[in-house]
Amino acid sequence: MAYQLYRNTTLGNSLQESLDELIQTQQITPQLALQVLLQFDKAINTALANRVRNRVNFRGSLNTYRFCDNVWTFVLNDVEFREVTDLVKVDKVKIVACDGKNSNAAE
Amino acid sequence: MLICQGETESTPTWFVRHVMFSCCYGSCAALLLTDVFLLHISETPYVYVKPKLYKSVIEDVINEVRELFLDEGVDEQVLLELKTLWENKLLQSKAVEGFHTEEQALQAAQQQVQHQVQQVQQVQQVHHVTQPAQTQQVILPPQQQQAPQQQVIVQDSKMLQHMSATGMSAAATAATLALPTGVTPYQQLITSQGQILQVVRAPNGAQYIIQPQQQILLQQQMQPGGVQAPVIQQVLTPLQGGLPQQTGVIIQPQQIVLASGNKGNTQVMQAAALAQQPIQAATAQAQQVQQVQQVQQAQQAQQAQGTAAPQVPPQPQAPMILQADGTGDTSSEDDEDEEEYDEDEEEEKDKDGGEDGQVEEEPLNSGDDVSDEEDQELFDTENVVVCQYDKIHRSKNKWKFHLKDGIMNLNGRDYVFSKAIGDAEW
Repeated sequence: MAYQLYRNTTLGNSLQESLDELIQTQQITPQLALQVLLQFDKAINTALANRVRNRVNFRGSLNTYRFCDNVWTFVLNDVEFREVTDLVKVDKVKIVACDGKNSNAAE
Repeated sequence: MLICQGETESTPTWFVRHVMFSCCYGSCAALLLTDVFLLHISETPYVYVKPKLYKSVIEDVINEVRELFLDEGVDEQVLLELKTLWENKLLQSKAVEGFHTEEQALQAAQQQVQHQVQQVQQVQQVHHVTQPAQTQQVILPPQQQQAPQQQVIVQDSKMLQHMSATGMSAAATAATLALPTGVTPYQQLITSQGQILQVVRAPNGAQYIIQPQQQILLQQQMQPGGVQAPVIQQVLTPLQGGLPQQTGVIIQPQQIVLASGNKGNTQVMQAAALAQQPIQAATAQAQQVQQVQQVQQAQQAQQAQGTAAPQVPPQPQAPMILQADGTGDTSSEDDEDEEEYDEDEEEEKDKDGGEDGQVEEEPLNSGDDVSDEEDQELFDTENVVVCQYDKIHRSKNKWKFHLKDGIMNLNGRDYVFSKAIGDAEW
Protein backbone atom coordinates (compact mmCIF):
# COMPACT_ATOMS: atom_id res chain seq x y z
CA MET A 1 0.00 0.00 0.00
CA ALA A 2 1.27 3.41 -0.86
CA TYR A 3 1.37 6.10 1.70
CA GLN A 4 -1.97 7.63 2.53
CA LEU A 5 0.01 10.68 3.29
CA TYR A 6 -1.22 12.72 0.38
CA ARG A 7 -4.90 12.54 1.21
CA ASN A 8 -4.64 15.73 3.23
CA THR A 9 -3.77 17.89 0.28
CA THR A 10 -5.90 20.04 -1.94
CA LEU A 11 -6.09 17.27 -4.45
CA GLY A 12 -6.80 14.60 -1.90
CA ASN A 13 -9.28 16.59 0.13
CA SER A 14 -11.29 17.61 -2.88
CA LEU A 15 -11.45 13.97 -3.90
CA GLN A 16 -12.60 12.93 -0.46
CA GLU A 17 -15.22 15.63 -0.38
CA SER A 18 -16.51 14.61 -3.77
CA LEU A 19 -16.69 11.00 -2.67
CA ASP A 20 -18.53 12.01 0.47
CA GLU A 21 -21.09 13.85 -1.58
CA LEU A 22 -21.68 10.80 -3.72
CA ILE A 23 -21.99 8.63 -0.65
CA GLN A 24 -24.55 10.95 0.84
CA THR A 25 -26.63 10.77 -2.27
CA GLN A 26 -26.08 7.04 -2.12
CA GLN A 27 -24.64 6.88 -5.55
CA ILE A 28 -21.65 4.90 -4.36
CA THR A 29 -20.91 2.80 -1.37
CA PRO A 30 -18.37 3.73 1.27
CA GLN A 31 -16.44 0.65 0.33
CA LEU A 32 -16.13 1.87 -3.21
CA ALA A 33 -15.04 5.27 -1.99
CA LEU A 34 -12.30 3.64 0.01
CA GLN A 35 -11.14 1.80 -3.06
CA VAL A 36 -11.03 5.05 -4.94
CA LEU A 37 -8.90 6.60 -2.25
CA LEU A 38 -6.51 3.70 -2.30
CA GLN A 39 -6.22 4.10 -6.02
CA PHE A 40 -5.60 7.78 -5.52
CA ASP A 41 -2.79 7.02 -3.12
CA LYS A 42 -1.07 4.90 -5.71
CA ALA A 43 -1.58 7.43 -8.46
CA ILE A 44 -0.33 10.40 -6.51
CA ASN A 45 2.71 8.56 -5.22
CA THR A 46 3.59 7.48 -8.72
CA ALA A 47 3.01 10.90 -10.16
CA LEU A 48 5.14 12.65 -7.59
CA ALA A 49 7.93 10.19 -8.03
CA ASN A 50 7.96 10.26 -11.80
CA ARG A 51 6.45 13.46 -13.06
CA VAL A 52 7.89 16.07 -10.78
CA ARG A 53 11.45 17.20 -11.21
CA ASN A 54 12.26 20.29 -9.27
CA ARG A 55 14.08 21.31 -6.17
CA VAL A 56 13.16 23.60 -3.36
CA ASN A 57 15.27 25.06 -0.61
CA PHE A 58 13.98 26.41 2.60
CA ARG A 59 15.28 28.03 5.71
CA GLY A 60 13.64 28.97 8.94
CA SER A 61 13.56 28.40 12.65
CA LEU A 62 12.37 25.18 14.17
CA ASN A 63 9.62 25.50 16.67
CA THR A 64 8.76 21.88 17.42
CA TYR A 65 9.77 18.47 16.21
CA ARG A 66 8.26 15.06 16.68
CA PHE A 67 9.26 11.61 15.56
CA CYS A 68 6.67 8.95 16.10
CA ASP A 69 5.93 5.77 14.16
CA ASN A 70 8.64 6.71 11.71
CA VAL A 71 6.88 9.91 10.89
CA TRP A 72 8.52 13.26 11.39
CA THR A 73 6.38 16.25 12.16
CA PHE A 74 7.95 19.67 12.30
CA VAL A 75 6.61 23.12 12.90
CA LEU A 76 8.78 25.87 11.54
CA ASN A 77 8.44 29.63 11.88
CA ASP A 78 9.39 32.45 9.57
CA VAL A 79 10.30 30.18 6.73
CA GLU A 80 11.44 31.11 3.27
CA PHE A 81 10.84 28.59 0.53
CA ARG A 82 13.06 29.27 -2.38
CA GLU A 83 12.87 27.83 -5.81
CA VAL A 84 14.87 28.82 -8.84
CA THR A 85 12.30 31.32 -9.94
CA ASP A 86 10.42 32.54 -6.93
CA LEU A 87 10.33 32.88 -3.22
CA VAL A 88 7.55 32.17 -0.76
CA LYS A 89 7.59 33.36 2.81
CA VAL A 90 5.36 32.03 5.52
CA ASP A 91 5.13 32.71 9.20
CA LYS A 92 4.38 29.18 10.18
CA VAL A 93 4.49 25.87 8.38
CA LYS A 94 3.90 22.32 9.41
CA ILE A 95 5.90 19.62 7.71
CA VAL A 96 4.77 16.03 7.86
CA ALA A 97 7.23 13.57 6.42
CA CYS A 98 7.02 9.82 6.11
CA ASP A 99 9.98 7.62 5.65
CA GLY A 100 11.09 7.88 2.09
CA LYS A 101 14.04 5.57 2.14
CA ASN A 102 12.18 2.36 1.66
CA SER A 103 8.91 3.42 0.22
CA ASN A 104 8.52 -0.09 -1.09
CA ALA A 105 8.41 -1.37 2.43
CA ALA A 106 5.32 0.67 3.06
CA GLU A 107 3.56 -0.70 0.00
CA MET B 1 -5.42 33.18 -27.80
CA LEU B 2 -2.98 31.07 -29.63
CA ILE B 3 0.69 31.09 -29.07
CA CYS B 4 2.93 29.71 -31.75
CA GLN B 5 5.55 27.39 -30.51
CA GLY B 6 8.90 28.69 -31.50
CA GLU B 7 11.55 26.31 -32.46
CA THR B 8 14.09 27.94 -30.26
CA GLU B 9 13.76 28.19 -26.59
CA SER B 10 14.25 31.90 -26.41
CA THR B 11 11.53 32.89 -28.80
CA PRO B 12 8.61 31.33 -27.05
CA THR B 13 9.85 32.62 -23.75
CA TRP B 14 9.90 36.15 -24.98
CA PHE B 15 6.69 35.76 -26.81
CA VAL B 16 4.93 34.34 -23.86
CA ARG B 17 6.17 37.01 -21.56
CA HIS B 18 5.02 39.59 -24.02
CA VAL B 19 1.68 37.95 -24.15
CA MET B 20 1.51 37.78 -20.43
CA PHE B 21 1.89 41.47 -20.09
CA SER B 22 -0.45 42.32 -22.85
CA CYS B 23 -3.01 39.74 -22.14
CA CYS B 24 -6.15 41.24 -20.85
CA TYR B 25 -7.15 38.11 -19.08
CA GLY B 26 -4.80 38.71 -16.25
CA SER B 27 -2.01 36.66 -14.96
CA CYS B 28 -4.00 33.53 -14.42
CA ALA B 29 -4.89 32.98 -18.03
CA ALA B 30 -1.45 33.94 -19.16
CA LEU B 31 0.10 31.49 -16.80
CA LEU B 32 -2.17 28.79 -18.03
CA LEU B 33 -1.28 29.51 -21.58
CA THR B 34 2.35 29.35 -20.77
CA ASP B 35 1.79 26.09 -19.04
CA VAL B 36 0.17 24.60 -22.05
CA PHE B 37 2.57 25.79 -24.65
CA LEU B 38 5.88 26.11 -22.95
CA LEU B 39 6.47 22.93 -21.15
CA HIS B 40 9.62 22.31 -23.08
CA ILE B 41 11.32 25.14 -21.32
CA SER B 42 13.54 23.66 -18.72
CA GLU B 43 13.07 26.45 -16.26
CA THR B 44 9.34 26.19 -16.15
CA PRO B 45 8.36 27.04 -12.61
CA TYR B 46 6.50 24.37 -10.80
CA VAL B 47 3.56 26.63 -10.56
CA TYR B 48 2.99 26.01 -14.23
CA VAL B 49 3.57 22.31 -14.01
CA LYS B 50 1.02 21.76 -11.37
CA PRO B 51 -2.19 21.92 -13.37
CA LYS B 52 -0.90 19.34 -15.78
CA LEU B 53 0.28 17.15 -12.97
CA TYR B 54 -3.02 17.34 -11.19
CA LYS B 55 -4.92 16.69 -14.35
CA SER B 56 -2.86 13.64 -15.10
CA VAL B 57 -3.40 12.33 -11.59
CA ILE B 58 -7.11 12.84 -11.92
CA GLU B 59 -7.17 11.08 -15.25
CA ASP B 60 -5.20 8.17 -13.89
CA VAL B 61 -7.37 7.76 -10.87
CA ILE B 62 -10.58 8.00 -12.81
CA ASN B 63 -9.44 5.50 -15.38
CA GLU B 64 -8.26 3.01 -12.82
CA VAL B 65 -11.37 3.40 -10.80
CA ARG B 66 -13.66 2.89 -13.75
CA GLU B 67 -13.23 -0.84 -13.47
CA LEU B 68 -14.02 -0.75 -9.81
CA PHE B 69 -17.14 1.20 -10.51
CA LEU B 70 -18.29 -1.25 -13.11
CA ASP B 71 -17.61 -4.16 -10.81
CA GLU B 72 -19.80 -2.62 -8.21
CA GLY B 73 -22.47 -2.02 -10.77
CA VAL B 74 -22.23 1.71 -10.51
CA ASP B 75 -23.11 3.69 -13.56
CA GLU B 76 -20.52 5.51 -15.62
CA GLN B 77 -22.45 8.68 -14.97
CA VAL B 78 -21.51 8.54 -11.34
CA LEU B 79 -17.89 8.27 -12.30
CA LEU B 80 -18.15 11.33 -14.48
CA GLU B 81 -19.93 13.13 -11.72
CA LEU B 82 -17.11 12.30 -9.37
CA LYS B 83 -14.64 13.69 -11.83
CA THR B 84 -16.64 16.85 -12.28
CA LEU B 85 -17.04 17.39 -8.57
CA TRP B 86 -13.37 16.81 -8.05
CA GLU B 87 -12.30 19.27 -10.68
CA ASN B 88 -14.75 21.88 -9.54
CA LYS B 89 -13.53 21.72 -6.01
CA LEU B 90 -9.98 22.12 -7.19
CA LEU B 91 -10.98 25.11 -9.22
CA GLN B 92 -12.78 26.66 -6.30
CA SER B 93 -9.94 26.13 -3.95
CA LYS B 94 -7.78 28.39 -6.04
CA ALA B 95 -4.83 26.47 -4.79
CA VAL B 96 -4.06 25.54 -8.33
CA GLU B 97 -3.67 27.93 -11.18
CA GLY B 98 -6.64 26.36 -12.82
CA PHE B 99 -7.22 23.68 -15.31
CA HIS B 100 -9.12 25.29 -18.07
CA THR B 101 -7.87 28.59 -19.28
CA GLU B 102 -10.83 30.35 -20.69
CA GLU B 103 -13.30 28.40 -18.69
CA GLN B 104 -11.85 29.53 -15.44
CA ALA B 105 -11.73 33.12 -16.49
CA LEU B 106 -15.29 32.95 -17.63
CA GLN B 107 -16.45 31.28 -14.48
CA ALA B 108 -14.78 33.83 -12.30
CA ALA B 109 -16.24 36.63 -14.32
CA GLN B 110 -19.64 35.06 -14.31
CA GLN B 111 -19.66 34.66 -10.58
CA GLN B 112 -18.79 38.26 -10.06
CA VAL B 113 -21.31 39.37 -12.56
CA GLN B 114 -24.04 37.32 -11.04
CA HIS B 115 -23.55 38.91 -7.69
CA GLN B 116 -23.82 42.34 -9.16
CA VAL B 117 -26.67 41.47 -11.38
CA GLN B 118 -28.69 40.33 -8.46
CA GLN B 119 -28.39 43.66 -6.80
CA VAL B 120 -29.13 45.51 -9.93
CA GLN B 121 -32.05 43.43 -10.86
CA GLN B 122 -33.67 43.96 -7.54
CA VAL B 123 -33.72 47.64 -8.04
CA GLN B 124 -34.61 47.36 -11.60
CA GLN B 125 -37.50 45.05 -11.25
CA VAL B 126 -39.10 47.05 -8.55
CA HIS B 127 -39.69 49.80 -10.94
CA HIS B 128 -41.45 47.65 -13.34
CA VAL B 129 -45.00 47.82 -12.36
CA THR B 130 -46.10 45.80 -15.27
CA GLN B 131 -44.18 42.65 -15.09
CA PRO B 132 -46.62 39.87 -14.65
CA ALA B 133 -44.97 36.81 -15.94
CA GLN B 134 -42.04 38.40 -17.51
CA THR B 135 -39.86 38.33 -14.49
CA GLN B 136 -38.50 35.10 -15.71
CA GLN B 137 -37.26 36.80 -18.75
CA VAL B 138 -35.00 38.86 -16.64
CA ILE B 139 -32.69 36.00 -16.14
CA LEU B 140 -29.91 36.12 -18.60
CA PRO B 141 -26.90 33.94 -18.31
CA PRO B 142 -23.86 36.08 -18.56
CA GLN B 143 -22.19 35.36 -21.78
CA GLN B 144 -19.25 36.53 -23.69
CA GLN B 145 -17.87 38.43 -20.84
CA GLN B 146 -14.45 39.82 -20.99
CA ALA B 147 -12.69 38.73 -17.91
CA PRO B 148 -11.19 41.96 -16.71
CA GLN B 149 -14.21 44.11 -17.39
CA GLN B 150 -17.73 43.42 -16.61
CA GLN B 151 -19.98 45.24 -18.93
CA VAL B 152 -23.26 46.44 -17.64
CA ILE B 153 -26.10 47.20 -19.86
CA VAL B 154 -28.36 49.98 -18.87
CA GLN B 155 -31.68 49.71 -20.47
CA ASP B 156 -33.87 52.51 -21.37
CA SER B 157 -36.77 52.78 -19.07
CA LYS B 158 -39.23 53.53 -21.70
CA MET B 159 -38.09 50.74 -23.84
CA LEU B 160 -38.20 48.42 -20.94
CA GLN B 161 -41.68 49.37 -20.09
CA HIS B 162 -42.67 48.92 -23.61
CA MET B 163 -40.94 45.67 -23.89
CA SER B 164 -42.29 44.32 -20.72
CA ALA B 165 -45.72 45.24 -21.75
CA THR B 166 -45.35 43.58 -25.05
CA GLY B 167 -43.56 40.59 -23.72
CA MET B 168 -40.20 41.25 -25.11
CA SER B 169 -37.37 38.94 -24.51
CA ALA B 170 -35.32 38.95 -21.39
CA ALA B 171 -32.77 41.15 -22.98
CA ALA B 172 -35.23 43.94 -23.00
CA THR B 173 -36.56 43.65 -19.53
CA ALA B 174 -33.48 43.01 -17.54
CA ALA B 175 -30.17 44.71 -17.38
CA THR B 176 -28.04 42.01 -18.72
CA LEU B 177 -24.54 41.44 -17.85
CA ALA B 178 -23.38 40.13 -21.11
CA LEU B 179 -24.17 41.46 -24.46
CA PRO B 180 -27.22 39.70 -25.70
CA THR B 181 -26.87 38.10 -29.01
CA GLY B 182 -27.25 40.55 -31.74
CA VAL B 183 -26.26 43.53 -29.71
CA THR B 184 -23.41 45.36 -31.22
CA PRO B 185 -21.33 48.10 -29.69
CA TYR B 186 -22.67 51.29 -30.93
CA GLN B 187 -20.64 53.98 -29.48
CA GLN B 188 -18.24 54.52 -26.68
CA LEU B 189 -18.60 57.46 -24.44
CA ILE B 190 -16.24 58.61 -21.82
CA THR B 191 -17.71 60.49 -18.96
CA SER B 192 -16.00 63.25 -17.14
CA GLN B 193 -15.26 60.79 -14.44
CA GLY B 194 -13.32 58.69 -16.82
CA GLN B 195 -15.76 55.90 -17.05
CA ILE B 196 -16.17 54.40 -20.40
CA LEU B 197 -19.70 53.86 -21.44
CA GLN B 198 -20.56 51.84 -24.40
CA VAL B 199 -23.81 52.48 -25.99
CA VAL B 200 -25.18 49.42 -27.51
CA ARG B 201 -28.02 49.13 -29.84
CA ALA B 202 -29.98 46.01 -29.43
CA PRO B 203 -31.81 44.47 -32.31
CA ASN B 204 -35.08 45.43 -30.78
CA GLY B 205 -34.15 49.01 -31.03
CA ALA B 206 -33.46 49.66 -27.41
CA GLN B 207 -30.25 51.38 -26.73
CA TYR B 208 -28.27 50.34 -23.78
CA ILE B 209 -25.40 51.77 -22.00
CA ILE B 210 -22.69 49.35 -21.23
CA GLN B 211 -20.38 50.36 -18.54
CA PRO B 212 -17.45 48.57 -17.07
CA GLN B 213 -18.23 47.76 -13.58
CA GLN B 214 -16.92 50.27 -11.13
CA GLN B 215 -17.92 51.67 -7.87
CA ILE B 216 -19.93 54.73 -8.35
CA LEU B 217 -20.66 57.16 -5.62
CA LEU B 218 -24.31 57.52 -5.98
CA GLN B 219 -24.69 59.68 -3.00
CA GLN B 220 -22.63 62.37 -4.45
CA GLN B 221 -24.77 62.64 -7.43
CA MET B 222 -27.90 63.83 -5.84
CA GLN B 223 -29.51 66.33 -8.04
CA PRO B 224 -31.24 69.42 -6.88
CA GLY B 225 -34.20 68.11 -8.71
CA GLY B 226 -34.43 65.28 -6.32
CA VAL B 227 -36.90 63.34 -8.28
CA GLN B 228 -34.47 62.18 -10.82
CA ALA B 229 -31.60 61.36 -8.59
CA PRO B 230 -33.14 58.68 -6.45
CA VAL B 231 -34.87 57.16 -9.34
CA ILE B 232 -31.74 57.07 -11.33
CA GLN B 233 -29.86 55.58 -8.52
CA GLN B 234 -32.47 53.05 -7.74
CA VAL B 235 -33.32 51.91 -11.11
CA LEU B 236 -30.80 51.93 -13.75
CA THR B 237 -32.90 50.89 -16.60
CA PRO B 238 -36.55 50.38 -16.11
CA LEU B 239 -37.27 53.81 -14.86
CA GLN B 240 -40.91 54.19 -14.59
CA GLY B 241 -40.79 57.04 -12.21
CA GLY B 242 -41.24 59.44 -14.98
CA LEU B 243 -37.72 60.30 -15.73
CA PRO B 244 -38.07 61.56 -19.21
CA GLN B 245 -34.78 63.27 -18.95
CA GLN B 246 -33.20 60.19 -17.66
CA THR B 247 -34.50 58.12 -20.42
CA GLY B 248 -33.50 60.74 -22.84
CA VAL B 249 -30.03 60.50 -21.57
CA ILE B 250 -29.94 56.82 -21.90
CA ILE B 251 -31.58 56.59 -25.20
CA GLN B 252 -29.35 58.84 -27.11
CA PRO B 253 -25.69 58.50 -26.69
CA GLN B 254 -25.04 62.06 -27.56
CA GLN B 255 -27.29 63.28 -24.87
CA ILE B 256 -25.54 61.15 -22.41
CA VAL B 257 -22.43 63.11 -22.77
CA LEU B 258 -24.15 66.42 -23.08
CA ALA B 259 -26.67 65.61 -20.46
CA SER B 260 -29.78 67.67 -20.80
CA GLY B 261 -29.63 70.85 -18.86
CA ASN B 262 -27.14 71.07 -16.13
CA LYS B 263 -27.21 67.43 -15.29
CA GLY B 264 -24.45 66.70 -17.64
CA ASN B 265 -21.95 64.29 -16.36
CA THR B 266 -23.79 63.72 -13.20
CA GLN B 267 -26.52 62.06 -15.08
CA VAL B 268 -24.04 60.05 -16.93
CA MET B 269 -22.46 59.12 -13.72
CA GLN B 270 -25.77 58.24 -12.31
CA ALA B 271 -26.62 56.27 -15.34
CA ALA B 272 -23.36 54.53 -15.03
CA ALA B 273 -23.96 54.00 -11.40
CA LEU B 274 -27.37 52.69 -12.04
CA ALA B 275 -25.98 50.57 -14.78
CA GLN B 276 -24.08 48.66 -12.23
CA GLN B 277 -27.02 47.85 -10.10
CA PRO B 278 -29.36 46.62 -12.76
CA ILE B 279 -26.67 44.69 -14.38
CA GLN B 280 -25.85 43.06 -11.16
CA ALA B 281 -29.39 42.02 -10.77
CA ALA B 282 -29.78 40.94 -14.32
CA THR B 283 -29.12 37.37 -13.62
CA ALA B 284 -31.24 37.23 -10.54
CA GLN B 285 -34.06 34.81 -10.37
CA ALA B 286 -37.74 35.48 -10.72
CA GLN B 287 -38.23 35.86 -7.02
CA GLN B 288 -35.76 38.60 -6.86
CA VAL B 289 -37.36 40.29 -9.76
CA GLN B 290 -40.68 40.27 -8.08
CA GLN B 291 -39.21 41.50 -4.91
CA VAL B 292 -37.48 44.22 -6.77
CA GLN B 293 -40.74 45.24 -8.22
CA GLN B 294 -42.16 45.68 -4.82
CA VAL B 295 -39.21 47.61 -3.68
CA GLN B 296 -39.26 49.80 -6.69
CA GLN B 297 -42.85 50.59 -6.11
CA ALA B 298 -42.04 51.57 -2.61
CA GLN B 299 -39.17 53.58 -3.85
CA GLN B 300 -41.24 55.37 -6.36
CA ALA B 301 -43.39 56.65 -3.59
CA GLN B 302 -40.34 58.14 -2.07
CA GLN B 303 -39.04 59.66 -5.21
CA ALA B 304 -40.99 62.82 -4.78
CA GLN B 305 -39.35 63.24 -1.46
CA GLY B 306 -35.97 63.07 -3.04
CA THR B 307 -34.80 60.15 -1.06
CA ALA B 308 -31.11 59.87 -0.67
CA ALA B 309 -29.15 57.36 -2.56
CA PRO B 310 -28.02 55.48 0.47
CA GLN B 311 -31.53 54.45 1.04
CA VAL B 312 -31.56 52.59 -2.17
CA PRO B 313 -29.46 49.64 -1.28
CA PRO B 314 -31.11 48.83 2.01
CA GLN B 315 -34.61 49.39 0.81
CA PRO B 316 -34.69 46.86 -1.93
CA GLN B 317 -33.28 44.28 0.33
CA ALA B 318 -35.42 44.85 3.36
CA PRO B 319 -38.80 44.02 1.94
CA MET B 320 -37.37 41.28 -0.16
CA ILE B 321 -36.16 39.12 2.62
CA LEU B 322 -38.81 37.08 4.26
CA GLN B 323 -37.97 37.03 7.87
CA ALA B 324 -38.86 33.83 9.58
CA ASP B 325 -37.40 34.53 12.94
CA GLY B 326 -37.57 37.28 15.46
CA THR B 327 -40.94 38.88 15.37
CA GLY B 328 -42.03 36.54 12.67
CA ASP B 329 -41.06 33.42 14.50
CA THR B 330 -43.94 31.14 15.08
CA SER B 331 -42.24 27.88 15.84
CA SER B 332 -41.55 28.65 19.45
CA GLU B 333 -45.10 29.65 19.97
CA ASP B 334 -46.27 26.34 18.64
CA ASP B 335 -43.93 24.48 20.88
CA GLU B 336 -45.12 26.33 23.88
CA ASP B 337 -48.66 25.62 23.03
CA GLU B 338 -47.98 21.96 22.76
CA GLU B 339 -46.21 21.73 26.07
CA GLU B 340 -47.83 21.74 29.44
CA TYR B 341 -48.39 24.81 31.42
CA ASP B 342 -45.77 24.11 34.06
CA GLU B 343 -43.13 23.48 31.50
CA ASP B 344 -44.08 26.64 29.75
CA GLU B 345 -43.68 28.64 32.85
CA GLU B 346 -40.36 27.07 33.56
CA GLU B 347 -39.18 27.68 30.07
CA GLU B 348 -40.25 31.26 30.16
CA LYS B 349 -38.42 31.74 33.37
CA ASP B 350 -35.37 30.09 31.98
CA LYS B 351 -35.53 32.14 28.89
CA ASP B 352 -35.85 35.31 30.81
CA GLY B 353 -33.04 34.32 33.08
CA GLY B 354 -30.95 33.26 30.18
CA GLU B 355 -31.53 36.41 28.31
CA ASP B 356 -30.77 38.53 31.28
CA GLY B 357 -27.69 36.52 31.95
CA GLN B 358 -26.57 36.88 28.40
CA VAL B 359 -27.13 40.54 28.41
CA GLU B 360 -25.11 40.88 31.54
CA GLU B 361 -22.44 38.49 30.50
CA GLU B 362 -21.84 39.75 27.03
CA PRO B 363 -20.06 42.88 28.07
CA LEU B 364 -18.03 40.86 30.52
CA ASN B 365 -17.05 38.02 28.25
CA SER B 366 -16.74 39.93 25.05
CA GLY B 367 -13.07 40.52 25.50
CA ASP B 368 -12.15 37.03 26.47
CA ASP B 369 -11.74 35.64 23.00
CA VAL B 370 -8.20 35.48 21.87
CA SER B 371 -7.68 35.61 18.19
CA ASP B 372 -4.04 34.88 17.89
CA GLU B 373 -4.57 32.35 15.19
CA GLU B 374 -6.17 34.87 12.93
CA ASP B 375 -3.21 37.13 13.21
CA GLN B 376 -0.82 34.39 12.34
CA GLU B 377 -2.67 32.82 9.47
CA LEU B 378 -2.76 34.80 6.33
CA PHE B 379 -5.23 32.93 4.23
CA ASP B 380 -6.97 30.79 6.80
CA THR B 381 -4.78 27.95 5.67
CA GLU B 382 -2.25 26.32 7.81
CA ASN B 383 0.73 26.03 5.53
CA VAL B 384 1.35 22.34 5.24
CA VAL B 385 4.02 20.34 3.55
CA VAL B 386 3.32 16.67 3.04
CA CYS B 387 6.33 14.73 1.87
CA GLN B 388 8.78 11.95 2.53
CA TYR B 389 12.10 12.33 4.22
CA ASP B 390 15.39 11.04 2.94
CA LYS B 391 17.48 12.18 5.83
CA ILE B 392 16.94 14.27 8.90
CA HIS B 393 20.10 15.46 10.57
CA ARG B 394 20.69 17.36 13.74
CA SER B 395 23.81 18.86 15.23
CA LYS B 396 23.29 20.61 18.54
CA ASN B 397 20.37 22.77 17.65
CA LYS B 398 21.04 22.92 13.93
CA TRP B 399 18.71 20.77 11.92
CA LYS B 400 19.06 19.78 8.31
CA PHE B 401 16.21 18.33 6.31
CA HIS B 402 16.46 16.29 3.16
CA LEU B 403 12.97 15.77 1.85
CA LYS B 404 11.48 14.45 -1.34
CA ASP B 405 8.24 14.05 -3.25
CA GLY B 406 6.25 16.67 -1.48
CA ILE B 407 3.13 18.71 -1.93
CA MET B 408 3.05 22.09 -0.25
CA ASN B 409 0.18 24.40 0.44
CA LEU B 410 1.60 27.80 1.22
CA ASN B 411 -0.48 30.94 1.58
CA GLY B 412 -3.36 29.12 0.00
CA ARG B 413 -1.49 27.99 -3.08
CA ASP B 414 -0.21 24.58 -3.99
CA TYR B 415 3.35 23.72 -4.85
CA VAL B 416 5.10 20.43 -5.51
CA PHE B 417 8.69 19.37 -5.37
CA SER B 418 10.74 16.30 -6.00
CA LYS B 419 13.47 17.34 -3.59
CA ALA B 420 13.64 19.85 -0.81
CA ILE B 421 16.57 20.75 1.36
CA GLY B 422 16.18 22.93 4.40
CA ASP B 423 17.93 24.33 7.42
CA ALA B 424 16.52 25.40 10.69
CA GLU B 425 17.61 26.28 14.16
CA TRP B 426 15.72 25.05 17.09
